[in-house]
Amino acid sequence: MTSTVTILAGQATGGTLLRSARGLAMRGLRSIRRLPSAFFPALAMPIFQTIAFSGTFFAITKIPGFPTHRSVNWYLPLACCMGSGFGGIGLGFSTVRDIESGFFDRLRMAPAPRLALIIGPLFAVWTRVLIVITAALIVGFLFGARLTGGVVGLLLMYVAGLGVATVAAGWGLGLAYRFGDMRAAALMQLTLLTAIFLSNAQAPLNVMSGWLHAVARINPFTNILRLAREGWLGDVTWNATWGGLVSIVGISALTLAFAYRGLAKLAD
Amino acid sequence: MNTKQPGPTDRSSDGGSSTAPIIAKGLVRHFGSVKAVDGVDLEVHEGEIFGFLGPNGAGKSTVIRMLTTLLKPTAGSAQVAGFDVVTHANDVRRRIGVALQDAAIDPLMTGNELLHLQAVLYGLPVSQVRARADELLERVGLVGAADRRVGTYSGGMRRRLDLALSLIHQPTVLFLDEPTTGLDPMSRIALWEEVRRLNQEGTTVLLTTQYLEEADQLADRVAIIDHGKIVKEGTPTALKASVGAPTLLISVAAAQALTARDVLAKFGELRTTSEGSLGVGLEGGAGAVTDVIRALDDAGVKVQHLELNEPSLDDVFAESTGYRLEGAASTGMTDAAGPAPARKRGRRK
Repeated sequence: MTSTVTILAGQATGGTLLRSARGLAMRGLRSIRRLPSAFFPALAMPIFQTIAFSGTFFAITKIPGFPTHRSVNWYLPLACCMGSGFGGIGLGFSTVRDIESGFFDRLRMAPAPRLALIIGPLFAVWTRVLIVITAALIVGFLFGARLTGGVVGLLLMYVAGLGVATVAAGWGLGLAYRFGDMRAAALMQLTLLTAIFLSNAQAPLNVMSGWLHAVARINPFTNILRLAREGWLGDVTWNATWGGLVSIVGISALTLAFAYRGLAKLAD
Repeated sequence: MNTKQPGPTDRSSDGGSSTAPIIAKGLVRHFGSVKAVDGVDLEVHEGEIFGFLGPNGAGKSTVIRMLTTLLKPTAGSAQVAGFDVVTHANDVRRRIGVALQDAAIDPLMTGNELLHLQAVLYGLPVSQVRARADELLERVGLVGAADRRVGTYSGGMRRRLDLALSLIHQPTVLFLDEPTTGLDPMSRIALWEEVRRLNQEGTTVLLTTQYLEEADQLADRVAIIDHGKIVKEGTPTALKASVGAPTLLISVAAAQALTARDVLAKFGELRTTSEGSLGVGLEGGAGAVTDVIRALDDAGVKVQHLELNEPSLDDVFAESTGYRLEGAASTGMTDAAGPAPARKRGRRK
């Protein structure tokens, strides 16, 4: 037996930003438990990269001027940032699926703030990324990674990871809204990989030369990776920190605006 | 037989008013060079069930998507529940319920979870969410399946859940886009009953359908849409009356078809029907059937099958568009031939 609820016809207020976002975040988090096969690759990839890169490219630490003698200290933050990036891109994939299945129309027809449709799933991405980074960290420590910058350095790596996830999510969502199908997926992956690898991802700026050095120097991902690696390559300094923070805020704002505009254009 | 029961404010016969819950004026929508909707004018009265009838690709869903704020019109304007769909989209969203084609529901979520999410997005007070969800699950008969993932639901269950989701906030205007497509007859009838019940509770309903019987059974008024334009509008009774004489259908051996055609032509306007049968708009009505049989017998034509059908919405559709609605026959709803050629229209996307 159920009680009857009195709702005045046509008097729905519409969900608030935070409540709607929380509801959508919960939906995203449930899928970890219900569809682990979709989450497992995102979890495994940074772990695999950490082990494979630091083993395969161990000799990179012998290059004069290389900032650490532990290759795992160099590659662990990169793997965490890449894993975070793919976590963000994953939001683009799942949004494409929602658009193709029509479920996204249901969300768009709700009188909730449009921003909730972006930041709700983004909250879920952040949670997933925290799990991924933590798992990669545990494996990294087991394979010899050692923090040099203390707890602050560790936190900065989390900040960088969450930042990359936000940038990637905004980019992925923007493309998903504009293409509305899986054509967006290839573009999301290709552009993210290109952006990351045209930075100091594999080697420090001071050992790079030519056009790659020029591109990496102005690539904001260089600043973000520097931020992520601070706590693993020496002491944490403000000089190495602010550029990363500014880059995260700047590109996140741009990609989230790209997503928001794309969401509005779905009705065009 | 039309079993439509009038709602509390059945105004299907009046001329409408400026406060009609759905008003569209000159709605146009282009997709690139394709004109999907080409100047649709529409007025749905309060408390009415309005049927939007047309084949796949006629523009029904595009009109619904514009009225439900999912698509912006290329030209023209529309008001739903008193608000402009473009400039006051959120006000419209608060007042409408929508069940779109295909019941797009996240298969990983349970019915209960989906209702809770919907309640949150529509701003229902936390204290009311559970009770409202339970109430709707009971209403659509899904209490037992509430905690099962939607991916395990049958098509009919998904449709019912879709309807429940669209009702979470007690909308004043309900849009149902082909609500029974793909359902078995029992599920279809159950859904019709629910739509009637909602209408009797005061909800204005706009439903699109490609099933003639559905429009005939449910709708106070029907608009026939083809190639993005409304080609006919009125009550089912008036539309059928406008077609005129009942149709006499006969089947004869192929060798005698021409002779039979000549005989039938003496009794009214010939109506081409599906392959293998002949039809005539019998001007003398049922009383002339005996004369037709006698004339055919005199001409040596052996009649294999004969039936007399009152005009149907299919006839109205055929008269308005020049072809018959695909799918009508498959639902067992087209029981009459009509004045138009029997070619059926292919599916257009």
